[in-house]
Amino acid sequence: MSAERATAWFLRGYVVVVFAFVFAPIAASFVFSFNSDRFPTLPLGHFTLHWYETIFNDPDVWEAFANSAIVSACTAVIATFIGFCTAYTDYRFRFFGKSAYLGLALLPPTIPLVIMGLAMLALLSRIGMSGRLDSIIVAHVVLCSPFAMAVIRLRLAQMDPSLEAAAWNLGASEWQAMGAVILPFTAPAIVAALCLTAAVSFDEFAVAWFVSGLNKTVPVIILEILQGNVDPQINAIGSIVFITSMTLVVVAQILIMTKAPRRA
Amino acid sequence: MQARGVRTVSFYGLTWAMPMVLWQLVFFVFPLCFLLALTFWLVRNYRMVPGFDTVNWVKMYSRGYFWDAFGFTFTMALLSTAVTSILAFPCACALAFRTSPAVRRWAMFFLIIPFFTSYLVRAYSWQIFLGDTGVINGLLSAVGVGPWPMLNTRFGTLIGYLTLSLPLVVVLQLFSLASVDRNLVEAAWNLGCGRLKAVFVVIVPLAKVGLIIAATFCFILSFGDFVSPYYLGGSKPPTLSILIVDTTKSGQQWPRAAVVAVTMIATLFAVAFTAVALAYRRRA
Amino acid sequence: MPEPGHEPLVVFEGVTRRFGDTVAVERMDLAIGEGEFVAIMGSSGCGKTTTLRMLAGLERPSEGEIRIEGRRVNELSPAERDTPMVWQTLALFPFLDVRRNVEFGLRMRGIPAPARREKAMAWLDRMEIAELADRDVAQLSGGQRQRVALARALVTEPRILLLDEPMSALDANLVVRMQAVLARLQRDLGITFVYVTHSQSEAFAMADRVVIMSRGVVEQIGTPQQVYRSPANRFVAEFVGANNIISGIVTDYREGVVTAETALGMLRATVTGDVARTPGGGITFVVGADRIALSGQPAGAGNEVRLALISEEFIGSVVTLHFEASDGSPFRAQKQQRELDTLALEVGATMWASWPAEDVHVLPGE
Repeated sequence: MSAERATAWFLRGYVVVVFAFVFAPIAASFVFSFNSDRFPTLPLGHFTLHWYETIFNDPDVWEAFANSAIVSACTAVIATFIGFCTAYTDYRFRFFGKSAYLGLALLPPTIPLVIMGLAMLALLSRIGMSGRLDSIIVAHVVLCSPFAMAVIRLRLAQMDPSLEAAAWNLGASEWQAMGAVILPFTAPAIVAALCLTAAVSFDEFAVAWFVSGLNKTVPVIILEILQGNVDPQINAIGSIVFITSMTLVVVAQILIMTKAPRRA
Repeated sequence: MQARGVRTVSFYGLTWAMPMVLWQLVFFVFPLCFLLALTFWLVRNYRMVPGFDTVNWVKMYSRGYFWDAFGFTFTMALLSTAVTSILAFPCACALAFRTSPAVRRWAMFFLIIPFFTSYLVRAYSWQIFLGDTGVINGLLSAVGVGPWPMLNTRFGTLIGYLTLSLPLVVVLQLFSLASVDRNLVEAAWNLGCGRLKAVFVVIVPLAKVGLIIAATFCFILSFGDFVSPYYLGGSKPPTLSILIVDTTKSGQQWPRAAVVAVTMIATLFAVAFTAVALAYRRRA
Repeated sequence: MPEPGHEPLVVFEGVTRRFGDTVAVERMDLAIGEGEFVAIMGSSGCGKTTTLRMLAGLERPSEGEIRIEGRRVNELSPAERDTPMVWQTLALFPFLDVRRNVEFGLRMRGIPAPARREKAMAWLDRMEIAELADRDVAQLSGGQRQRVALARALVTEPRILLLDEPMSALDANLVVRMQAVLARLQRDLGITFVYVTHSQSEAFAMADRVVIMSRGVVEQIGTPQQVYRSPANRFVAEFVGANNIISGIVTDYREGVVTAETALGMLRATVTGDVARTPGGGITFVVGADRIALSGQPAGAGNEVRLALISEEFIGSVVTLHFEASDGSPFRAQKQQRELDTLALEVGATMWASWPAEDVHVLPGE
């Protein structure tokens, strides 16, 4: 009994340690973004908003946030559209070569981002498209659409498969059934996919760094500051980035977790 | 397009199937093919010239530093896979077998957040802890030991890899452990198998596929990452991804970077293939 | 029955098991003897599976004591007991072949490979499935899987075998065959079987004694005959199923025969023990469906009720006739097919049922 209880306590403590490890860097970034010392040491200096003021007054940072907002918004819309199409195709149709089709849809996250960045840079610069925001968007859609597909496919799997057929049976065309049955049912997942892909795009640094040129996004700015000296600005920018992407991911997850209404 | 058994190619079906195919062919498959072609191009007067020459392959493959980097990257990725899998397993087990479904859902919720949250900043933040004057060494010196260098060491790199893949590996392991039939575990106890032994004799074999998939993802992420070995490992020695970044950013030797990239993809395919074969291998 | 004087093989003493606020098993006292075949019956949620799981160490009693071979086992982990179980799902290990499944218990006890292999093969042989030794368990039929599960549980030669609804996945004719296999096995091995089931036919076909549970409480322990003929209370009488249960008020008691006013008229029963029979008190008569005599006309004798036929149900040569009594309550009779030849059996037909007063089992209260 006591050995069993000891195991239980050990495991409980272990889970706490794992979560602490996972969230320590995020928490540290927040704490030190308000710390007056230039170098991150203990004990902490005094509370300051200096680093936030610095980035607030930096036009480059403003521009980067604007770029990131444009990129992630466009990426989210296009990737979610493609993800929806792919998820619906997988849900609805059976056809020759389907596993190859799904492989093509889901493969991108397994390719290292550095390699994706290099490949995109090489190709886009060849056709004179590198260094533009749309080149980042194009690449981000490739990376993000598998996530959108997964989220929407999960939702479709919860749908009673006879609902669509019931709509046809009642005289709806395929397009009408799409609008009247599939879209309303998948709406929460579509919004979730928008949030999730926006978050992925907002945080992506490698491909963006390779192809962005002068149109830098936030992670690219961070990457470039990192290559210089220690600069607590990073913690301030990082905290804003954390809050942005965490909010998006939390909203996405809450939407995914809301259960489909049980079959009547 | 075949709609539920009806063999017709409909406009409707193609409308939904094609966007992904077109996009991925043009912006995913084609760039990777172009990358492969690029490895045979030449660089003359700091300009790339289309061609078909194996000189880039020969040059890269005959360099000692390339193979050093390859060996180092592969070893570190393997180490990361082993360490991450082993560290994640007790946590995933505890969540799968000793918590209520509600707690499990929340745990999943909180593990998924960091996976989608700026890895770059998370990895960088470890400098706050690991630096020679950082939080950990600060605490250590308060009790009179240290400082221990942790930044710019392999330990630092490993911490970065863990930051990248630990949440994902716990989630994937948790998925496969949660689907383990509790009845089989109890049956093993009932037949005289102790609790700890049952973990290895029953749970691991039952969850094998999921555990291997989790490990494979960890390998893929660690193998391709350049942030941790660069900012936490001090780029000493460089990994293959750092080689790509340096080669690309410092000039026009893109064909050589492409050689490294293609080698990496081939390696990842080989590893993933081996892992899948291992996962679905029948009993001897 | 456990012999007096000896400590029986298994003893439950005041065992209670709670899950949060719900009581799964309440103050259970039960003794199971060496070599006995005991069936624990009840509907789902009655605590029968929890009882079995406590015996295997998969649940720990909240109160009370469980002893096996005279030794308190409350604190023993499942692995420290030799109480193998045949699971409802069979719980065969999918990553092991048939022989390795059977060997599992021996492997856990550190028996060397050649010895355990030999033993496993002997058991597979005994279960007549030796030729399946190298198969994957997924390739087996339901009956074959059943035999593997039995061999796996018995290979360590335990003194007690636990069975948790092991036949619920089998189809009807296979169930009958497996019942024969189990009953013979238990006789040959001479070990104790504790068999949990919701199926009355399985329990009555094989068990020496049955334990009937409801909502965590033991309602009756006895031989199938006792439970069937002399149910301890109304719950058991209803659970056994093949009974007609008629409640009424005692109007008269004379020379061992009690008369009561019921919804079906005045009925009589012979009373033996000391059942309350004060006139004005409540009483319940239990009449086995197989004790009913049927006739097309009233015979004018006592214990006769008028019924309307609703349906017939054939199981082999036995026919169960379902009636509606004059007050609308259900009534049933069981007959051999040939006994019915002289009767006109049409749905809606009026018939008279009667039974001897000696065949009525009497319960106190309404």
